Amino acid sequence: MNEQRSTERLFFDEHQWATVEAAMSRIIPTDHQPGAREANTTGFLDRYLSGIEYVYAKPDGSGFEKLSGKRAEAWRQRIEGLRKVYTEGIAEMDRRSRELFGDDFRALTEGQQDEVLGAMESRSGMDEGEQEEHQVAAGYGAPEEEAEPAMQQTLNESDLLFFPLLVLHTRQGFYGDPVYGGNRDRVGWEVLGFPGPESMAEVHSGRYSTLPYFAESTDHGEEAADGR
Amino acid sequence: MAGKKKPERADVCIIGAGASGATAAKVLTESGLRVVALEKGPWRKPESFGGDELANANRYNLWPDPILNPRTFRHSPQEDPKVELFCPVPQMVGGGTVHWTGWVPRMTVNEFKQETIYGEVDGASLKDWPITYEDLEPYYDKVEWSFGVSGQAGANKYEGPRSRDYPVPAMRPTRYAQKFHEGCAALGYNSFPTPMAMLSRPHNGRRATVQSAFVQQHGDPTGTKSTALTTFVPDAVATGRFDLRSDCYVHEITVDERGRAKSAVYQDADGDFVEQEADVFMLACGAMESARLLLLSRSVRFPNGLANGNDLVGRYLTLHEYSAAVGVFEEEMYGWAGGGYVSGSTFEFLEGSQDNGFVGGSHVAAAGVGVPLPINFTMPDQPAWGQGMKDADRELFNHSMAVGVCLHDLPQYENRLELDESVKDAWGLPVARVTHKAHTNDIQQGRWIIDKNVEILDAAGAKKSWPVYIDRITGNASHQHSTIRMGTDPRSPSSTSGARPTRWRTSTPSTAARFRPRPGSTPP
Repeated sequence: MNEQRSTERLFFDEHQWATVEAAMSRIIPTDHQPGAREANTTGFLDRYLSGIEYVYAKPDGSGFEKLSGKRAEAWRQRIEGLRKVYTEGIAEMDRRSRELFGDDFRALTEGQQDEVLGAMESRSGMDEGEQEEHQVAAGYGAPEEEAEPAMQQTLNESDLLFFPLLVLHTRQGFYGDPVYGGNRDRVGWEVLGFPGPESMAEVHSGRYSTLPYFAESTDHGEEAADGR
Repeated sequence: MAGKKKPERADVCIIGAGASGATAAKVLTESGLRVVALEKGPWRKPESFGGDELANANRYNLWPDPILNPRTFRHSPQEDPKVELFCPVPQMVGGGTVHWTGWVPRMTVNEFKQETIYGEVDGASLKDWPITYEDLEPYYDKVEWSFGVSGQAGANKYEGPRSRDYPVPAMRPTRYAQKFHEGCAALGYNSFPTPMAMLSRPHNGRRATVQSAFVQQHGDPTGTKSTALTTFVPDAVATGRFDLRSDCYVHEITVDERGRAKSAVYQDADGDFVEQEADVFMLACGAMESARLLLLSRSVRFPNGLANGNDLVGRYLTLHEYSAAVGVFEEEMYGWAGGGYVSGSTFEFLEGSQDNGFVGGSHVAAAGVGVPLPINFTMPDQPAWGQGMKDADRELFNHSMAVGVCLHDLPQYENRLELDESVKDAWGLPVARVTHKAHTNDIQQGRWIIDKNVEILDAAGAKKSWPVYIDRITGNASHQHSTIRMGTDPRSPSSTSGARPTRWRTSTPSTAARFRPRPGSTPP
């Protein structure tokens, strides 16, 4: 397994790491089950922002692909844009925290942090024109009216503002494959009740099957269960 | 062209090695012709794919990278176009069949003659196809048997006559498909196992399809799904007459002094330009890229691009918009089983009527919600972050399902694809600019069908259900059609008798671009 175990920082400085971790822990809190903190979503994001070494896991989970040519150029450009959004977004979150509560975001109580995040979400500092320019991650329909229409198959991260981007990356780090450093010990899947494959290698080799979770009536199709 | 020899002339040059191009390659090479296919993207082997939602759904492992392959979009000519990844399809050998789950119901008899059935519709241009279901039936049959399609003959009461059964039985039902059938039965609707490009049993020397959760938007590492990559490409290669060149991006089709297609000029993986001559050229790059290539092929003789003397190339662009009613059940639905789209379908809403306030209709089918994992999707009306979001994910995800619609919009003259000279792709060529606005007919159709879908969920015993209406067409289903319409009248559509484009004789688009209006049933 290639899961990231250390908390070695690759992109964020100590303060940025602690701020992002505090925010992600409010986006998917820890309750009777693990949350973003236990899943290591901050480490997941830090590694993503570190360059183009961790963009694509190898399909059998045995490391990461080396990017080259136009693809590598595109990813360098994309990651650079994302780094800027984070660097500025974290500073903005601290600025609002000091304005509202007189301290950095990481030092606030959970209730205060939620208020700051709520303010970041509503983007009250932007005029309507600016808001139109940007989209928020929506999926099946976030309550916001300006949300991207429901059910896009693709979601262009480069279009997102800091807060929806942070939410999206928290979800990616919580529910994505553990090979990327988040979803540590598959805690995200445990919360969902998704049994999932044991590893990417299980999917890659064709050993992984969801047939046990199909309907019980079995007229046919049984061959596929062990059909290798 | 540093030291590269001009390649030998081919009998046929196919541009694009996806669903259409690979099928044509198989048929032509098996009949003895020498075929060259030029594919813009890579020729990936099944082993290069994995069950990796981040790579595939979020990071452009399969979808075109919008930094390299942008498109622009606007609703009307008055608007400034925005750069976006509009209606993407994987650009690689296998094309859209790489990322699909493979819903492949046949079009109905009536879908070929919608002008006859519906007559004039204000603001739209419905036309009958120049071919009929009966003309196509033998080919449907051939493809189902050689490609490998599962289904149950006779289960869809709206399907036209078949010459024989499917080669393998329908897939075993998922829980969400089963629930859908129960809801339909309670309301007296006909429903049927969705015919799928998957094998429920071994067929043609291939084993049954592995039922992973990572299917839709994922390539298949096992090679057991029916795709162009696993069937028709290897069939064509086996003839010894197929030269498939991947990573070769055709920039233009040139014409000779008589105005006939002469060569395809492409840039290969090394960045070198190569000219391929052939007797016949086939465009098979999907509706959007085929039209774009015709428009890019400008010459003194054809300053507006090939086959575009009437300014019709790229017009009447139609799409499928996917939306759904979403329901939550007491019991687990496991919407990720089979990847979320091993489905049940109904054609009860395929033909609307003026009584409903709209014409036409669409295929309705069951699916999972936010599958296989709810990374990019949250349930309707739930908090976007915090404890409420976590609770909703935990309580609803495994218990939810969708009854979805692939809404096919009406063809309209102003809905079109053009070149956007102000935005270039990573190879320096102008990108496709889409101008598209939904017809009121389509919005009404969507509302009516989504309301029906809510009724199906409720009849199946949903604890709670939500309609997710369509208010505009965004191309989200990655299905695209009708930019180079077939026709028999040399003056009106952009094609002439023999289904060839006007004033340009040796090139034959063979792609979804040729679709006449509105196959509401079939995701191409």
